[in-house]
Amino acid sequence: MDRVSSDGDRARFETLVLPYLADAYTLAGWLAGNRSDAEDIVQEGCLRAFQGFGAFANGNPRAWLLAIVRNTACSWLGKNRSSDLVLVDDLVAVEQKQAARCGNRGSVTPETELIAKADASKLQAAITELPLAFREALVLRDVQGLDYREIAEVTRVPVGTVMSRLSRARQKLVSAIATDER
Amino acid sequence: MTVSNVLLVHAYLDGELNAAQALEIERQIAVDPTLAAERARVEALRTAIQDHFPREPAPPNLVRRIEAAISARQATRRLDTASHPSWRALAASVVLTAFLASSSTWLLLTPGSTETVADVVVANHLRALMATQPIDIASSERHTVKPWFNGRIPQAPRVVDLSRQEFPLLGGRIDVIGRVPVPTLVYQRRKHLISLSAVPSGTFANMASVPRAIAGYNIVSWTDGDTVYWAVSDVAASDLDTFVKDFRSAS
Repeated sequence: MDRVSSDGDRARFETLVLPYLADAYTLAGWLAGNRSDAEDIVQEGCLRAFQGFGAFANGNPRAWLLAIVRNTACSWLGKNRSSDLVLVDDLVAVEQKQAARCGNRGSVTPETELIAKADASKLQAAITELPLAFREALVLRDVQGLDYREIAEVTRVPVGTVMSRLSRARQKLVSAIATDER
Repeated sequence: MTVSNVLLVHAYLDGELNAAQALEIERQIAVDPTLAAERARVEALRTAIQDHFPREPAPPNLVRRIEAAISARQATRRLDTASHPSWRALAASVVLTAFLASSSTWLLLTPGSTETVADVVVANHLRALMATQPIDIASSERHTVKPWFNGRIPQAPRVVDLSRQEFPLLGGRIDVIGRVPVPTLVYQRRKHLISLSAVPSGTFANMASVPRAIAGYNIVSWTDGDTVYWAVSDVAASDLDTFVKDFRSAS
């Protein structure tokens, strides 16, 4: 009976998955950069999730939903703003230079003060300017509080990659805020 | 300071290290000022992010939109599996032409057609909810809404003012059921909308049993003279019953 199973699916979907709508919306907002696109992405992502809900067994529903919404956002961004999708490989050279510079910082860090003083719009601008791969790792961890394993599941990369992207993302953010102030 | 030590500082602050690893990196931080500085930056950044971007609930209209979209998907799926023609097929004029050519009766959707009419009525309601405007004519004034229909369809529906019963009129739209354009009035109950379609009786096969709800949307259907009414809404069933009672008793 299609009807019975799909109504049961819906109830289960609403109990397990819909509580994470706010998380999905937050992630989509940071990936898309504005609220109305985020709403469209979340709606489409939720429909995809509902369609594929039969295949969801007993994993982590939050990470599962976020993975689908992230994919939806990526294909949406690919369609609408392909320039945002900078490949991570392109960034490696830049990264290495920055990492070398990071190593030279002293123990007294005016950066911490600058960070503390930075207002929401400045911080938001700096996060928005991070390349997608770094931005999503940072948002999932520092805004949304996922652990590394969950982030790895959402972004489909190994935990080691999550770890390095996250530290890079934070370092980029710190230097963006600090450079801005000087 | 090595790159991997920097990563470990981040992992440590993120609570990703086991006790032994954590002790080891704490020891390193204590002796390496660059690691201590890294820790200070990460902590400052995390505090700033948490202060400026607290977790927010999803906007209520988004929640409603998604629930409506899922219901619409379910209704479509149901129609696709339950009977042909599906409502999408109904919308295709090619099929409609074939219908006109092959059938001698207006009564058909299919055997068991009541359910299909109910499904189409719910699907119409859902589509309207998802549109930017659930109505084609927005007016709380029944003397504006009724004439609007007069110019467009053969029979304008009965429009009553239920604002005192707390069902203000929002306006109206024209839905299509099968190949029949039908007037639909939209009333409001708090934040919820009620779609009320008025179908000339005899347009579709008799309703043996009307489902009380489809995909979480309550349905009430009744016949009044030569009109069959269909009320659909996500308000509580008791509220919808009250609405129907008020509508029927209003002059």
